[in-house]
Parts: sequence; structure tokens; C-alpha cells
Amino acid sequence: MTGPTWKDRLSDAMPEHLAREIDVFEGQIELKKAGKLDDKIFAETRLRRGAYGQRYDNGMRNDGTGQQPLVFPTALTKGPDTMWDAPGMQRIKNPFGKVTAEQMDVMSDLADEYSDSILHVTTRQDIQLHFVHIEDCPDMHRRLAATGITTREACGNSVRNVTACEFSGVCSTEGFDVTPYADAVTQYFLGHPDVQDFGRKFKIAFSGCHDEPCGATTFHDLGAIAEVRDGKRGFRVVVGGGLGAVPVKAKVLSEFCEERELLPLAQAVCRVFARLGEKQSRARARIKFLVQKVGLEEFKKLVAEERSKLRDDPRWTAFLSDLSATDETPIRPGAPLATGDAAFQKWAETNLRPQSQDGYYVATIKMPLGDFTSTQGRVLADLAREYTGDTIRLTIEQNVALRWLSGADAYAFYQRLVDNGMGDAGARTITDIAACPGTDTCKLGISASRGLAGELRKRLKVIEDDLPPEVRALRIKASGCFNSCSQHHAADIGFLGVSRNVGGRKVPHFNVIVGGSFQKNAGEYGLVAGAVPSKAVPKAVEMITQKYTAEREGDESFHDFIERVGKGAIRKLLKPIAKAPAYEDDPSFYSDWRDPREYTIGDLGIGECAGEIVPFVEFGLQAAEQELYEAQELHEKKESAPAAGKAFAAMVTAAKALVRFLDVQCRDDADDVIAQFRTHLFDTKVFFDPYAKGKFANYLLKLHESRSFTNADDEIAHRTLDEAQLFIEAAHACYQRITEASADAAE
Amino acid sequence: MTNPNLAERVQLKFYATDHVPAMDLIPVFHKWITDKVIDDELMIDVADYSHVDKGPGVVLIGHASDYYYDLGEGRPGLKYSRKRGGNADATLNVADAFKRALTACVRLQKESGLSLAFSAQEALFSIQDRLHAPNDDATFDAFKATLEPIAKKALGDVTLTREGDARLGLTIRIRAQGAGSMEDAAARL
Repeated sequence: MTGPTWKDRLSDAMPEHLAREIDVFEGQIELKKAGKLDDKIFAETRLRRGAYGQRYDNGMRNDGTGQQPLVFPTALTKGPDTMWDAPGMQRIKNPFGKVTAEQMDVMSDLADEYSDSILHVTTRQDIQLHFVHIEDCPDMHRRLAATGITTREACGNSVRNVTACEFSGVCSTEGFDVTPYADAVTQYFLGHPDVQDFGRKFKIAFSGCHDEPCGATTFHDLGAIAEVRDGKRGFRVVVGGGLGAVPVKAKVLSEFCEERELLPLAQAVCRVFARLGEKQSRARARIKFLVQKVGLEEFKKLVAEERSKLRDDPRWTAFLSDLSATDETPIRPGAPLATGDAAFQKWAETNLRPQSQDGYYVATIKMPLGDFTSTQGRVLADLAREYTGDTIRLTIEQNVALRWLSGADAYAFYQRLVDNGMGDAGARTITDIAACPGTDTCKLGISASRGLAGELRKRLKVIEDDLPPEVRALRIKASGCFNSCSQHHAADIGFLGVSRNVGGRKVPHFNVIVGGSFQKNAGEYGLVAGAVPSKAVPKAVEMITQKYTAEREGDESFHDFIERVGKGAIRKLLKPIAKAPAYEDDPSFYSDWRDPREYTIGDLGIGECAGEIVPFVEFGLQAAEQELYEAQELHEKKESAPAAGKAFAAMVTAAKALVRFLDVQCRDDADDVIAQFRTHLFDTKVFFDPYAKGKFANYLLKLHESRSFTNADDEIAHRTLDEAQLFIEAAHACYQRITEASADAAE
Repeated sequence: MTNPNLAERVQLKFYATDHVPAMDLIPVFHKWITDKVIDDELMIDVADYSHVDKGPGVVLIGHASDYYYDLGEGRPGLKYSRKRGGNADATLNVADAFKRALTACVRLQKESGLSLAFSAQEALFSIQDRLHAPNDDATFDAFKATLEPIAKKALGDVTLTREGDARLGLTIRIRAQGAGSMEDAAARL
């Protein structure tokens, strides 16, 4: 006996083209199950539908005492080394974060039925559902399609979710509402042939103004900032920004691109990227590397040439005839802000922002670590229906915003939030911590960014009322690895997960990154002040914020404070807590936050051989870190070329430590160290990161070849410091892999 | 025409009487994976949502089913959730959910250092399948005959009440008249 299917039930509700695409995807699932589709092709196929892999999907689980095989029912795979039955993640694209009440209801239903009842807001205004099965995806897609959502190109090497400031259209500082433009770009590029042949993903962001952080255009592949000149609407267009391992600020492609030229300009950029972008090495395939490689002026020329070849497309400007199509209509009359109790006043101070329209407010609902339940999702849908209409927006700080809230309704609205566990005050403050999935679910996670963020949030909530205002205003972001998904470079205090070897055991650590700023569209990126054990991070936050309060001059911002005192001062401050205690003294340091498993592989032998070698190589790696620290000091003194040179020297020192660890003879000079490094660690792939492959080694080899550090300006010095930091981290990781392999062999 | 007896995604929650911080369950669930405590199921990971108010708490993620130390409704409890691989016979599928949920409760009660206890007087049963089992009276009536005998067998005399809004999957509150132990209830199945 068979029952109804979602395909039948929703056949009239889905747009025909979406229904057809989902049928095709379902057919590909069947082909894969029948062994008629290649692993790599299927992997890219599902990724382009937003169906990701998750940690442990290779069929192995770390128990803390060793690797345990996970024996799934079938040996079938859904990609290279990716088991068919392993839980995965479904990313749901919500262009510029907009969600209707109906969509919120349906996403909540999906979370109940196919996931674990949690909806997770990402830093790119998506929703992610975790622990889903690949075979449930087509029905999930159908149910989304029936509400107008497609997951197409939610992942894969294409144009990802187009993001925009959540205050677009209601903001008092914006040039104009960027929503219809973000919508037009989304529709235009979805499935467009010019964006199907990228070597990597392509992220586009819109911002309504230059000074606020909401659009974060500086770290996007393409950013558009609204401007009005001589009464004409247009955009300052920037290109080639990105975070990841080496953050790069986007550069100005056009000081003022008129609105009618926005789509063709973006298309020309995409065509240049598709044609000339790196395709072989994923590590260098983002557009930022292409812009760096050819130079900004040449890139502009290429784009202009490409633009001149494009044939007119009516879609470039069709949307301009009805820019009000994306407007929202309030359902309640605007009114002055209602009064309420003290808790409401506290919430209103941080979570309510007046709109440019009198009597209306944007309410930011703070979601811890970006998570909310399906029950809360339905409450949000109800609140939207009752108070604001379809005005829900997901934010890049992993919160949910409801716009067009009448001031008169604010207190009643707040009480409903409180009743449903969503009345937490402190949006956009130190307790509103962004975190990527990290080791919880991400295959690339090195440290438990969510565990850390959860712990920091819990501790800071207890003391938030006693914190000085300048400390309360700080932003914290935590990433589990160098891919920087929490956008930690742009935080006041950022954390980046790394691991360290202490006495033959792995210890989770976080690099502490200070000096970034989310203001001005994430206008400043921070630099590493040092690594501390994961369990020492709360103490680090306490020490840094106390120093800021004690030594702050006047109204000095945290960014300015760090500029003044220097990152070296923060490094010195953290030195007493930078070293993990011996395992025998405090084993808690050898597990990560909210994960009792020993971080190191428990059955790793601490043999005599390793015991003799460890101090030697660690000494070399520590020396490299010391040199990098000195490089940072030089950089702070604006001595760019010496700073870059010192950073390069630090990389050579780390490379030398590894080369000698392998018992290879080498001289002290860089040429010989690098020749030996290439032979014994690069060509053999021993240094290769499991995911980034030869990316970090290439930083050293290319620097050695180009000698770019000799005449480095500030930007090159900054980049070289970042690359050196990552190279040294990779050296630590390589050393750990070698010692583990030795221990296994000894066993 | 919907038919709740075709649905396999059933959930069953028993409420805690003495409850503990959700984070205390993290090491317990990891240990259950490592030691293969649930020996006939593949358990994979532990998800921590203890930071979410009235949320799923801490979840032991498996291939075919999940076990939650659930904080939903603001009432901690053990929630068993069948995701796939359920028995095609609805009666057997529901009985299996009772057996597994009760067994997990008994195991948690015995975990040293947890001080966790559950009540067999009340449970919340739901079907997370809105296609086959919408939350309406007709579906409730159609499913009662499947659920009631199993609930009675495990918990003694029971009353079943449908609750929750129409957007949910079929949701049924089970109230038992007796005050038997979780061990007794598990043994009766």
C-alpha cells in the first residue's frame, strides 16, 4: 500500500521549472544508486542543490581514544570518500535574507521532519538544516519550491546567495533601498550560463551605505554600495574581496556604476572570472587571486572589454521599471514606541532600531549561535502575520530581523518573544557572538567554535550588566578553521581554531585576532596576536577587555586602542595563558569546549623516539612564531618591507624545523632550506593539508620565487603576515601528522 | 486521503521528574556511541543545542533514529525519534518506539552521576510526517487504534488527547492512570 507523495500533492503549487529541476535531481539520485553516475559529478550535482556533506561522512568517527568505523547500511557513496547514508546538511538560500511567514512555516516543518528541529542562520543569510539524509532532499526541495524557494546554487562553484543589509529600505543612512537590485541580480544569475564554469564560488553583497557594517561588502567577490550622484542612482562596485585563509579587501572596480549598468557590469566580471580564473588549484581559484594576479588596472580593462562585447539583454533593466516590486507594506499604523518594564527597555535599547519611516522599528531577534527551533520558527511566522506582514530578514550576524514593527506594538511583541525564549537583549553586542559550525558538523573544523561561542556567551551573559558600555559594544566572532566562515577577521576580537602539539598530545587552540572592525562594511581586518589554548579563551577575553577599559583614552574605539597599543601588547598580555599545562596537571585542556572526547588521538604512543624528537622540532616552530611576532611588530610600526621580510624568514624557520625533523641535512640559508623543503615535504605531499592540499606550501614557494616581500607595501606586508601565520599553522599540523604516523607504525 | 499508519517518523517523549543540566548529557551520549550501548543501531554523533531555550537540548544522532535529552515545552525529557528504517507495520513501529524510548530512559536513570529520573505517567507522541499524518481529528481517530493498545500495554490505563496547532504533525498527549516505573513499563513490551 502506498500513500500520497509530496510530488503529487504539490504538483500545482510548484513553479513548473523548479518542479522539473527537482525531478531531474531525483533522477540523478536514482542513477547514482544504480551506479551509473560518477562520484565527483554527483557530488557537484548535489552541492549545486545545497546538499552538503558533514563531519564523519567518510565513515570514520573520532572517539577521542581512536578512530571508530561507522558502518552504514550501504557501501554506496555520494561523492569521493562520502558515504551515502551519512548525515548531511541542507543549505536553503534566502536571497538578501528575506523570508515570508509561509516560508518560515515550511522551513520549520522541514526541520521537524528531516532534521533535528533546529534552523541555523548562517553568516550569509541562509538557513541550514543539519543531519539530513540525501534521499530526503528532493521532497524537501519540493516543499520549499511550493513557497518560491529554490536551493539551486546554494553551494557549488557558482553565484551563491546574494546578501544585503537587513535594514535595506528602512534605514536612515542608506542611499536608497538596494533590495530590488539584489533581487534582480539573484534572478538574473540563477542558472545563468555565464556563472556555471567558475573554478570556485562567487559571493555578491549589497550595502545601502558606506559607513555601517550591515553589507560587509569589503570581503565579497563583488560588492555594490548604494550611492546617489546628481540625482541618479548607482553603485560603488568593488571586486576581489574575500576572507578565507588570506583575507583581502575588495578593490574599487567602479566609483559609480549607474543602476542600468549594474547587471551588465556584474555579468562582465563573471565572464572574465569564468574565462581566466584558476580552475585546477581550488586554493587559488577565488576571484581575489585573479585580481591579484593580473592587477586591478588590467582586470578593469578586461572587464571593460568583456562588457563591450555583451549583447544587450532586456533583463538588465526590466526590473528598473518597477523598483517598488520588492517593497513591503506595513499592516499596522506607525506609532511612538510603547512603554514597558525595565527588561523591555533594556531589550529595546539594543534590539530595536528606528526605521527611516516614522513610528516603525526593526526588531532584531537574537538567536544564540544562529540557532532557533521549529517551534520558534512558527512563532516568528505568527508574529510576522500579526504585527509586520512578510518582513522577516535573516542577518549576517546570524539573527532574525522583523521590520515594520509599529512602536505601539513593540511591548506586546517583545512579551511574545520572551514567552517563547527569544527575548534576549544585547543584539550586536559582546554577547551576540557569531560562530561557524566548526568541529560540531563541519568537515574542515579544527576547533569547536560553537562550543567556544556557547561558553563565552554563557559567561558573558552573567556579567553583561556590569560590563562597561565600551566593552558591551564589542563584537566577537569564532571560526573553527582558517576558512573564516564566522567572518572573524572583521570582529573586534576574533578567534580562529588551530591545534598545537604539547608533550606529544594535541591541544585545541584558538588564534586571537584583534584590530578588526565591522564598521564601514567590515572596513578593517584584524591580525593574530597569538594562540591560546581553547580552554584559556574566556580568560583571554577577560584580560583583553580589562586592559581596554583600564587603558582606554577618551572615547577611543577598540580598533583605535589596538592600533595605539599594538598587537604586541596583546601578545605580551596573553603570554601567561598561552601555554597549556601538562596533561598530567590539567587534562581538561586536552578536550575542546562541550566535547568530552580527548582532542588528541588517545592511542597515540608517546614513544622514546617521539620524546627525543619533539623538543627539537617544537623549538624550531616556536622560533618561527617568535619571528612572526617580530614581523607583526614591524608591521605595526608601518615598516612594511622589513615586516614582510621577517614574516618570510619565519616561514623559512618553520620549514627548516620540519626538514631537519625528517633527518634531512640542510644549511641555514633560505635557498637550501626551501630546496630541501620542496624535495622532501612538497613533492612528496607530506606537507599537504588534507583539504587545502599544497596551498600553504605554495605560499612559501611563491614568496621565495617572487621575492615580493622585498618591496612590500602595507597591503603586501599584511598578506605576507597572514600567509606566514597559515604556513606556520600548517607546519604544526604537518608535524602532528608525522608524529601520529610514526606512532601508528611503532604500534 | 491521508493514512497515519503509513508514516514511519514517530517520536515519543517521556518527561523527567528529576532533571539535570542538558550539558551533562553530552559525555553520556558520547560514551553510548563509543561503547555501542545501543547495540542494534548505528549511533553517529552528539549535537549540543543546550544554548537554545526550550530547544532540543542534547541529541544523540543515529542513522535510523535519534535520542534527545529534550528541553521542548520547557519540560526536560527523553525523546526518541525514528527517522528511517521503521517497520512497515505501524503497530510494530510504534511498539518499537515505546521499547526504545523506555529502554533509553531506564539506561539514563542508571547512569552514575546523572541523578535523572523519568515518569511513566505522561508521554507525548507525535508523527513527524505532515503528508501522512496531519494534526487533525480525522487523523487522530484513524491512528488511535494503533497507538492505544501499545500505550496501555506499557503504561496501563491511558487517555489520549490530540493537541497542538494544525501546522504540526499529529501530536497526541498520553496520560496514564497508574504510577508504574519506567523499568516495569519497558519490561511489559
